[in-house]
Amino acid sequence: MATVAQTIRLKVLFFGRLKEILGHAEESITSADAATIEQLFALYTARHPELAKFRPSLVASRNQEFAAWDTLLHSGDEVAFLPPVSGG
Amino acid sequence: MTTPLHDDICQLLREPIDLAMLVRHVRAPEDGAIVTFDGFVRNESHNRATLYLDYEAYESMALTKMREIAAQLHDKYKIHRVAIVHRLGRLEIGETSVFIAVSAPHRAAAFDACRFAIDTLKRTVPIWKKEYFEDGAVWADGELPPAPVATPHAKPAS
Repeated sequence: MATVAQTIRLKVLFFGRLKEILGHAEESITSADAATIEQLFALYTARHPELAKFRPSLVASRNQEFAAWDTLLHSGDEVAFLPPVSGG
Repeated sequence: MTTPLHDDICQLLREPIDLAMLVRHVRAPEDGAIVTFDGFVRNESHNRATLYLDYEAYESMALTKMREIAAQLHDKYKIHRVAIVHRLGRLEIGETSVFIAVSAPHRAAAFDACRFAIDTLKRTVPIWKKEYFEDGAVWADGELPPAPVATPHAKPAS
């Protein structure tokens, strides 16, 4: 199955300790290497290796719904990486 | 922020929560009971004296999840109105961080619904607290929300 890597534009949000590692809460990116949420996260661990250790304790969301890591991304999507929640 | 169908209130606030106003909002002549949950800042965490807490949220998603909880309460319990309000920003010891009020004709449904609401909020609403101590600050241990493990298209055919 030959797939052409598509360049997509995403809004990416980080919260809690992830935000502190990144240094900011959100960014807009354009990439041809972020077909899934997992691949998107890999782009960030390449830039910030210390993010990798948080991967098992994160959930992701796409357009404000919890989403599996293999979720396919589309241009215009808003993706967030969420540490364990601690409201209340 | 009111859900149109039931006149519920789901809000994120950066100022003190007006508990009495929320109780008045859910109280109606056809009800016989209101159960409230008042979650407030404790002065210690794991035996360390807390100075204050700082809450942040993925605000748009948190509001969506809070409205989903309110909708679930109406589906599951014989209740009348719901108010779910969470505060964000810096909170001092003793200040209310989350307040839930549920009215119902009879008490059992109000108790059950209120308990379900706070338990579900703590597990699924994207809000985070950082705890500040004399000697540093930590993100509070949280719960990992239940998320889909794989998208349906990626599951092996059975």
